[in-house]
Order: sequence, then structure tokens, then C-alpha cells
Amino acid sequence: MKTSLIIATAAIGVGLLAGCANLERSRDLGNPEVAGHVLAQQACSLCHGARGVSESPNFPILAAQQPAYLTAQLTAFRGHSRQDPQGFEYMWGVTRKLTDKQIEDIAAYYAAQSPVSRRPQGDAPAIEAGRRLFVDGAPDRDIPACSGCHGDRGQGLAAFPRIAGQHADYVTKQLFVFQRTDERPEGAIMKTVAHKLTAADIANAAAFLQSL
Amino acid sequence: MAPIVLRLRALRTMLAVLLAACVAIPLLLPASASAIPLFNRQTGQNCVACHAGGQFPELTPYGRLFKLTGYTLGGRTVPVSAMGLVSLSKVADRSKSDDPGADFQKDGRPIFATASLFLGGKITDNIGAFTQFTWDPYAITTDSGHYKGQFSADNMDIRYADRLVGDRHDVIFGVSANNNPSVADPWNTAAAWMQYVPVPSPTGSQFIDGASPYPGLAAGGNIAGLGAYAFVDQTVYLEAGDYRTAKGLFSFMRAGLHDADVTKLRGDNPYLRIALNRAWGASTLMIGLTRMNARVYDDPLDTSDPATVHRYRDLALDAQYQYLLDPHAWTAQFVYSRESHAYPAAQAGQAVSFVDAQGNALAPTSASDRTRLLRAKLSYVYQARYGGSASAFDLAGSTNSANQTSGLDPGTLTVTSDPTAAAPSLRVNGNLSGNPGTRGATVEGFWLPWQNLRVGLQYTFYVKFNGARENYDGFGRNARDNDSLFLYAWMAY
Repeated sequence: MKTSLIIATAAIGVGLLAGCANLERSRDLGNPEVAGHVLAQQACSLCHGARGVSESPNFPILAAQQPAYLTAQLTAFRGHSRQDPQGFEYMWGVTRKLTDKQIEDIAAYYAAQSPVSRRPQGDAPAIEAGRRLFVDGAPDRDIPACSGCHGDRGQGLAAFPRIAGQHADYVTKQLFVFQRTDERPEGAIMKTVAHKLTAADIANAAAFLQSL
Repeated sequence: MAPIVLRLRALRTMLAVLLAACVAIPLLLPASASAIPLFNRQTGQNCVACHAGGQFPELTPYGRLFKLTGYTLGGRTVPVSAMGLVSLSKVADRSKSDDPGADFQKDGRPIFATASLFLGGKITDNIGAFTQFTWDPYAITTDSGHYKGQFSADNMDIRYADRLVGDRHDVIFGVSANNNPSVADPWNTAAAWMQYVPVPSPTGSQFIDGASPYPGLAAGGNIAGLGAYAFVDQTVYLEAGDYRTAKGLFSFMRAGLHDADVTKLRGDNPYLRIALNRAWGASTLMIGLTRMNARVYDDPLDTSDPATVHRYRDLALDAQYQYLLDPHAWTAQFVYSRESHAYPAAQAGQAVSFVDAQGNALAPTSASDRTRLLRAKLSYVYQARYGGSASAFDLAGSTNSANQTSGLDPGTLTVTSDPTAAAPSLRVNGNLSGNPGTRGATVEGFWLPWQNLRVGLQYTFYVKFNGARENYDGFGRNARDNDSLFLYAWMAY
């Protein structure tokens, strides 16, 4: 009798608590009432940092990222059209129930964060070679300059992402995804660009971009 | 020759079972569904998000934050998961035993070793739980020699957590009700987590988990505690808790256990933890200290006399380094722990029945013992699919005639397990020296054909056991005779 009473009380208590939502600090990715900036701080920040500056190169830096690009990527994850492993292992689940409004708010939150400069990775000749590729491309190999679309400081423009200051390892892996797979169909233009990049080109470009 | 043939047969059977499981399980699962346990369903993420290289239960930085924020990230889902373990254990020598059938009951045979049911996940925006109930098919041996299973409470951690994120601060804080000190800890060098998992059924092998020393806190599981914790700027972790006997409202934390198997604590038993954490690039490093004092009744069925408590003081220094960058997952773990154990007054200074080689009485039993344990482990997983590890352990401590379970009989001056024959010990676990010293190493290789199945092969070596390299029990059994092989398939759904 005593046990039944305890269980019944606990069940009622849990039921009542389950109805409670803490909208200001919720990590509920299935509640459309939770604001995008709350999800960014309470959930996305576990990997990307509270200010969009991730420490681990497994996760891209999102601070000052172009909101149109972020919106497109979150939408692509939600619809499963973006399929690179680093993405779907984490992002399909995170985005599966986000509303369009929440996606826009999350994108706006990160776009409003201050960009950061990262510690350069790689030796000076590699960074210089990456800079030349970024500024001039390699016309003799039909490789356009990165800055043509991503801006003269790598700041991005609309659907073209900010790449300045990004983790070198992340840039490297994504360029290989574009070059070798069709896992990011919305970035098909990059497949053409990355087609002729050598492994050394990619490493040099990534080293330079991280130092920007 | 016969044992070799039997061994090969057993291994073949085991491999056939594993192969059949590898083929059958994907066919049985709906093609459209990801085979995902509870937290996986809740977050929609792969195991590798929370577990380093998919090597559960070791947590990634993300997994640690998921745990500290009370398992509340994601959406509510069916709050149930299950896991099962099929295994085969094989000890190096079965001949040096009075009764091999009893000492090595399931040795060399594939068995369904254990199964667990998990209940938990997100309950509210601030409350979540991780509770585990485990079925041991071989928990009890009946008088007729048959086995009887037991389903009982295992690890439990029910939390309230919140997180304050501001321009200059990031503070996660909460309260955990749990049944095992340090089970709420997010690092896998904490006492409750610093072990190889899965573990074999003790009936299958007593020399892998049961005898291989781990830095467990003396109070162990099946008790009840409340702890408050905070993780400040993902740099400083503090936890303070108090543990008591699991009873009344908290009796569910020892559910399924017989009263004689329940740890009975006297009064309040404090637990303290501090850890410093730093992340840079793909690396994270934690260095921490754990302290716990516990007063444990000698007889769980008789808590009437405060003079019958054992007093334990545990202090552990632990460190963990992780390097996680796809496709690599490296982890280095280190624990150094010290424990002092003061016996009830009535057990100290007692004469023992054994004698030395000249027939003289041994020193009386000590009032207290001290032990220290060093354990280190290095593991690597590639593509969250192929992994391996190597570890070493070294337990040392004071010598105490009370710990002798075999010795020289005063009448015959020959070795006996127990001259009074009141409680004859199994001699494979005999201790002739009265010293707990045990040293050895474990190596393991494993394969994750998919994220919720792990197939592993593990080998544990002993160079010292119960205080000696050779003849540790006085009957000729050597430490290396306890070397053990462990082959397993571990599934979760």
C-alpha cells in the first residue's frame, strides 16, 4: 500500500513536471515555442560554443557566418539532402523538428556573433601558397580564386559561406567531400571548383583560411 | 589433447553465434529505422556524438555536457532501451582446483551473460534520468546445482539540471539522486566508470572483472545519495554528495537485491569531487580528485551495533586525455587511488588459526589496512569501427593475517584453506600471504560492425595475484594460471 502510494505520487509528480517547460533555458529540440537563440545557447553550443566559436575542429566555427548560408545548411540537414558523415551524425537529429522560424533565428544568432582569429596552422610557405590560391586561384589549371565568391577577406556573401578563420581540418574535410562525393548537392558549384585541387592545394588553402 | 579440442569447439560455437547475430539482427530490424537506444532516439544523433569513437560508455565532450545538463537535450521519446551480452570466457588453467566444476562453472562455454533494461531520458526541460536494471541469469546457484536469475537495480542517476549562459559565463549546475558515488561523474576515470565494459558474468570468469582491481569506492553501489554539482565555464567541476542506506523513498535504488546483499551504511557518508578541465583543438584534458568516507556495517542484516562498522577513507587522483578528430579517437586514462580500511574493534587484534612454518602463531589481525591502486589505459578507435586498448593495473597494500584464506594447519603444518572448516574457501581465490598485491595487464581488440553492436576479444594477464607471483594460495596455483580470455558480442537497442 505504502509502495503504491509512493509510486502514484511520483507518477503524478512526474506528470505535472512533464507539463512544465522552461522556455528561457530549454534544450527541447521538439518544442516550436523555444526561441532560436535559446536553442543556440542551450543545445548548439555544446559543439559550436556559446558564441559560435567551436574549440574542436570536428565542428565548424559559426560566429559571423552568413545567415543565408546557415539557414540553407540547417534546412538541408533537416531534409537530409546534406549527407556528409560529420553532418548527419550530429545534425540530422538536431534539426529534425526545428521550424523554419527557429532555423532563421539560430542563423541570425550566429551571424550576430563576433568573428575570431585563429592560431595559424601550417608553415609560412604553405600559408603563402594558400593565400595565392585564395587571391588569384590557379588560372593555368582552371581553378578560380576563392575570394571571387567568398569575398576578399573570406567573409562570405549570402549563400556563399564565411570561410575566414575556419578550422583548417574542417575546411580540408569539406573540400574533400565536395571533390569526391555528392553528399552536399546544394554546394554543387564547389564540386566544379574543387575538382582540380590537389591534396597540397587543399592543405595550403585550409592553412591560410584558418589564419585569416 | 581433449581440452584443446573442447576449447576449439567452444570457440567455434561462439564464433558461429556471433556470425549468426551479425547476419540476423540487421535482417530483423526495419530497414527504415535506425537501430537506436534511448538517448539516440531522444537526440536523433549517432552513438559517436556522445561516446568516443562509439566506444560506449566513454563520453565525448559533447556527451559529458549532455549528461551534466540532465539528459534533457532533444525531445521526449519512448523511455526504454535494452542491451544484452553474449560471451565466452576462458581461464588459462583449470587443473589447480579442488573442484573445477564449481570454480570455473561456465568456463569455455558461450553463454548469454547478462541483459540490462534502461529507463530514462528527458522528463522535463530540467529533469532527466539514466536508470539501469540488470538481469544476471547466473546470480544464484540453487542447492540442486541449477542457476536462478536475478533482476536488480544497477546504475541510477536522476537529475535536475539547469544552465546559465551569459556574455561572460557558462554555468551548468544541478542535483543528482543516484545509487553509486561517482556514477554522476561525466569522466570515465571516475571510480564508477573506470573499468572495462562489458564485464563477463562472474560465473563465466572470476578473474576478469571480479579479481582485476578497479578503483571502486568502498561504499559501492546500491546505496542512495544526493549530490549537488556545478560545471563552471567548462573548466571547473565540483560535486558534493551525501550517501545513506537505500531505504524508504529511495529503496527502489536497491530494487531486486536480497537484503543480505545490500550495503548498509551508518549515517551520512560524504562524497567530494573536484576536476579541472581544459579543451584545446581536438584535445581535452581533465585532472581530478575524489574523496569519500564511508561507514559500512559488517553484517547487512544486523545494523543494531554501531561498533560493527567498517570505516573506509578513499582518495583518488585521476586524469583523462582525449584526442577526438575524425576518424581518430584516442583516450589515455590514469587513476591512482588510496584506501584506508579500519575494521570493527572486535575484529582487530584477533588470533588466527594458521601458523608459520615453525608452528608459531601468526601475528594477530590488524586494526586497519591500507591499499593503493594504480591503473592506466590507452585506447584507440578508427572510424568508430575498429578499436583496441591496452591497460595495466597494480594493487598493493598492507599485509594482514585476517586476509589469509589459506595457511599452515597448526596440527599438520600443511597448507589448508581453513583449519576450522567453518567456511572453507575456494582455493583458486586463496590467499596465503595475507597481502592483496595484484598486478597485471589487459589488452583488447574490438569491432563495431554497426553502431550498436560491439564484438570484442580481450585478454587479461596476471604477474602477481593475492600477494605472490607463484603459489599464491599455497596449493601451487600461480598468478599466470588466472590469465583469462574474454570474447563477447554486446548489443544495445
